[in-house]
Amino acid sequence: MQILIPDLWLREYLETNATPKQIQHALSLCGPSVERLHKKGDEYIYDIEVTTNRVDMMSVVGIAFECVAILPRFGYTAKLKKDPYLEKVDLSTSKKVNYLNVTLDKAICYRFSTALIRDVKVGKSPDWLVKRLELVGMRSLNNVVDISNYLMHELGQPVHTFDYDKIANHTMIVRQSRKGEKLTTLDAKTHTLPGGDIVIEDGSGKLIDLCGIMGGLNSAVDEHTQNVLLFVQTYEPTHIRKTSMALAHRTAAAELFEKNLPTENVLPTLHSGIKLFSQTTGGQADKSVLDILNVSEKVTTLKLACPLTEFVNSRLGINLTFAEIAKILKSLEFVVQSEQVVEIPWVRKLDIAIPEDLVEEVARIYGYHNLPTQLMAGNLPTPLSDTTFYWEAKVKSALSHWGFTETYTYSLVDQDSGLKLKNPLSSEWTYLRTSLAPSHLKIVSENLGKVDELHLFEIANVYLPKKGNLPHEELHLILTSTNLDVSQLKGYVEALSLEMGVHITPEIKVYPTALICEINLEPLIAKATSIKTYIPISQYPPIIEDINVPYTGNYAATVAKIKKVSPFVAKIELVDKYENKLTLRITYHSKSKQLSSQNIVPIREKLSALA
Amino acid sequence: MRQKLQNLKTEALAQIIQATDPAELKNLRYHYLGKKGALAEIAKDLSRLEPEAKKDIGQLFNDTKSAISEALGRKLEIRNSKLEIDTSLPGLKPPLGHLHPVTHAIEEISSIFEKIGFVRVRYPEADWDWYAFEALNMHRNHPARDDIETFFIDAPEDKKMGKIVLTPQTSNSQVREMERVKIPPIRMVNIAKCYRRQSDVSHTVMFHQFEGLVIDTDINITHLKGTIDHFVKQFFGPKRQSRLRPYHFQFTEPSFEVDVTCDICLCKGCKLCKEGWLELGGAGMVHPNVLRAGKIDPSKYTGFAFGWGVERTYMMKSGLKIGDLRLLYANDIRFLNQF
Repeated sequence: MQILIPDLWLREYLETNATPKQIQHALSLCGPSVERLHKKGDEYIYDIEVTTNRVDMMSVVGIAFECVAILPRFGYTAKLKKDPYLEKVDLSTSKKVNYLNVTLDKAICYRFSTALIRDVKVGKSPDWLVKRLELVGMRSLNNVVDISNYLMHELGQPVHTFDYDKIANHTMIVRQSRKGEKLTTLDAKTHTLPGGDIVIEDGSGKLIDLCGIMGGLNSAVDEHTQNVLLFVQTYEPTHIRKTSMALAHRTAAAELFEKNLPTENVLPTLHSGIKLFSQTTGGQADKSVLDILNVSEKVTTLKLACPLTEFVNSRLGINLTFAEIAKILKSLEFVVQSEQVVEIPWVRKLDIAIPEDLVEEVARIYGYHNLPTQLMAGNLPTPLSDTTFYWEAKVKSALSHWGFTETYTYSLVDQDSGLKLKNPLSSEWTYLRTSLAPSHLKIVSENLGKVDELHLFEIANVYLPKKGNLPHEELHLILTSTNLDVSQLKGYVEALSLEMGVHITPEIKVYPTALICEINLEPLIAKATSIKTYIPISQYPPIIEDINVPYTGNYAATVAKIKKVSPFVAKIELVDKYENKLTLRITYHSKSKQLSSQNIVPIREKLSALA
Repeated sequence: MRQKLQNLKTEALAQIIQATDPAELKNLRYHYLGKKGALAEIAKDLSRLEPEAKKDIGQLFNDTKSAISEALGRKLEIRNSKLEIDTSLPGLKPPLGHLHPVTHAIEEISSIFEKIGFVRVRYPEADWDWYAFEALNMHRNHPARDDIETFFIDAPEDKKMGKIVLTPQTSNSQVREMERVKIPPIRMVNIAKCYRRQSDVSHTVMFHQFEGLVIDTDINITHLKGTIDHFVKQFFGPKRQSRLRPYHFQFTEPSFEVDVTCDICLCKGCKLCKEGWLELGGAGMVHPNVLRAGKIDPSKYTGFAFGWGVERTYMMKSGLKIGDLRLLYANDIRFLNQF
C-alpha cells in the first residue's frame, strides 16, 4: 500500500529536528520504505510504501508514532506534540439512541458507531483543509466529504457520512446481501451484488450502503443536506475483500478494512470528526453517540517460553541487554512486563502474535545496518548425486559451441495437451505443453526471413498429465534447424551421445520449414557418464581402405553384415552415398599383430561376395 | 593384378600418413610414382591384358595413381602452407551459437552459491497448493491465493494437498527440501520457472526465480546478511553494497527487502533507482510455522530464506538495457544472437 504524507501535516503531530531528507533515510532503514520525497511548491511530501501487516501506519498519526521510535536512534530529537489516543474522549456513548434504529449482524460488523450531527451547512472547506487534501492528491468537494477524507488520512480509519433525512424511518439493517441485489454507489455505478456482501438496508427496504467500500448514492450528502450521520465502523475483513475484488471496486476504504482495523481507533476518530464538523460546518452532534461493540477489547499479552533477551539475541547474533531490548520495545508502545510477558499496544495487536514478531521490532529499530555480517560456519549439507544440472550445462555448452542458439519459450501454449489452466490470462497461454516442438515451429515461422539459417535448441520441462497427481515434469531437449539435412542433424545428436557416453536413438521429424529432433533427456542423463575407459594404443598400425558396396536401403544391416565377416574389421565409416552405391572406409586392425596385405585379401574377397 | 593394385594403394596410403618429414615424402613419391616406381612396373603388365580386363583394371590403376598422388599432394600442401602466410587476412570463424541470457544468469548465480556449500535442487513447477501456499503460512484469504494473481490447473482438488498451482514463486522448494533432508543442515538453492497472471513491460507470465534456504542450529540475521553480501559482491562486483530494509512476508519473520546500490548514479539517486538503491528482492528468517510444516523443530533450528527474480537480478547487474522484459521470451533471433 502506498500513502502520501505531507511533511507539514506530519509535523503537526511530530516535533523533531530532523530534515525531511533525514526522516526519509531513517524511516526507510528501520520502518516503512519512503520511496520518494516529492516537493510541491515549498512543501515536502513523503511517498511511503506500507506493508500489508502494518495497516496502523496508513495514516499521518501512524507515521508520527513510527518516527518517534526511529529518529532518536539516528541522533535526532523526536516526540509527539499531541497524542489523539491520550486525548480524553468525552463522548456519552450508548447502545441505543432515539434517532436511529439499528439491527446488526454481529458476525460481520465488529464495531458500529455513529453520531447524528444537526444543522450542518454544506459548503466550501477552509483553505488549510483544501491544501492538505491537495498535497495528498485529493480534490476538495465540500466540507462534509472533505472531513471524511481528512479523518481517514490522519487516523487511518475510514469514515462515511449519510444524509440522515434520506434514511427511511431512520432505520438501518446491517446484513449480508442476497445474490443479485442491486446497489448504486456514490460514483453512480450500479452493482449487481454477488451475495454475502455487507450492506445496509433502510426502513423502506432499499440498500443505502455497500459497507466498507462505498456509500450508496441514494443516501449521499448533497448541497441541501442539513443533518449528517457521521459513521465510523469496523467490519469482518474477508467479506470486504471478497466484495471489493468481485466487483473490481477497489477504494482506499476497502484496502484498509480488508486488512482488519482495530476497533479501538473508532471512538477517537468519531471524536475528532465531531470537533471538525463543529469547526467547519457549524453542525452540532447529538449528545448521545451510538456505539455497539461486538468483540472484546481486552489488552493482549505475549507470553514467551524462552526468555526475551535470550530469544532476541539468538536471532540477532549479538548481545543486547534486557534493558536495551525493553527500551526499544517501549519506544514502540509495548510494555515489557518481564522476560516472559510483553504487553502489546492495541495498534499492533493484530500484527504481533509470536516471539519472532518481537525480534523483528527490536532488530529493525536497532538497525539491520548495525548488525555484523558473516557467513555461517557449521557442517556442509550432503551434496545431491543424481541432479541433472551438470549434464544440462554440458549439453548447452556443446550445442552453443557447435553453432546452435538457445531459446527460452513459454511452457504455456494454445494447443490442448490435457493440462488446461483454470484461469488462463490469454488464449495463447491456456495449456501446459507436452512437447517443445510446437513452440519451436512458432519461433521458426516468426523468424523466417530475418536470417539465412536457424539452428536452435532449448532444454525445458514438458508436463505430462497424471490422473489424481501432479503432472510429470520431464526434461526435454529440442534441436531445430532450417538448413541442415537429416544426416547432419543426426550427426549433432550422435556427437552429443559421445559427449554423454550414452546411446541416443533420435527421432527426427520433417516439417515444411524445419527439421526437429526432440529428445527426452531424463533416461539419458540417468545413464550419462564422463568416465572414459582407456584402451591402450596399439603398436600395430591399421590398414585403411575404401570399398564400394551396393546400397540396399538399410545402412545399419549392411554394416552389421560387414562386421561379421572378420574380427579384423575394426571400424566402418560412410564416405559417400551415391544412388544405389555406398563407399565405405574400412579400418582393419589387430591388437596382436601387424596385418599385412596378405591378411586382407581373404576378407576383401568375402566383402566383394557380399556385393 | 587387381589384388596387387589394391595392396599397393593400401600400403602407400598408410606410409604417406605415417611419414613425418619432407625427405621421406620425396622418397615415397619416387618409390611409387617415379619413372621406375612401383606403378610404372605395373603399367608395363597392363598393356598385356585382354581388352575387356584392360578397361576394368585400367580404371583401378588410374584410381590408385590419383589417390597416391593426391595423398602426397595434401601432405606437401600442409607443409608448404606454413611458408607464406598473411596473418592480416580475416579468419574463418567456426559457426557461433549463443546461450540465452537467462542461462548465463542461472549459471553464474548457481556457481556463486555452490562455492559456499549450497546444494542446487529442482522441485515441481506445477505443485500442490500445500507446498506453494498453505505450508508457507499463507492463509486461505491471502491475495496470492486469488486466481487473479496465480494460475491454477483445471483438475480435481486433492483432499490433503489442495489444488495444483503453477508456482508463483520458488518457495515451494522450502518445505520440500526440509522433507528431503529431514535433519539439518540445509543449504539449498533452487532455480526454477515461475508463473504469474501478469504480462507487461516489466512482467512476463513465465519468469525465473532463485530461492536460497539455510537451516541449522544457531542461524541468525548476521548469517543472512553475510550470505547476501557475499552474493552481491560476487555477482555485481566488489564496489556494490547491499542493505536490508524491514518488510513483510507470510513465510518469514523478520522479513526484509534487499537493496543494492545503483550502478548508474553510483548511489546518488536517479530516475531508475529509489534514492540510490535498487530493489533486489525479499528475504527473511524462516517463520516457525514453515519449519513446523517441514517437520523441523523451531526450538532447535532456525534458518533464513530469500527468493529473487533471475531476470531482474541479471538486468541490474549488466545494464543490459532491455526496456521490455517480454523480449527475453519473444525469441527474435536478432535478439538472441546478441548474447
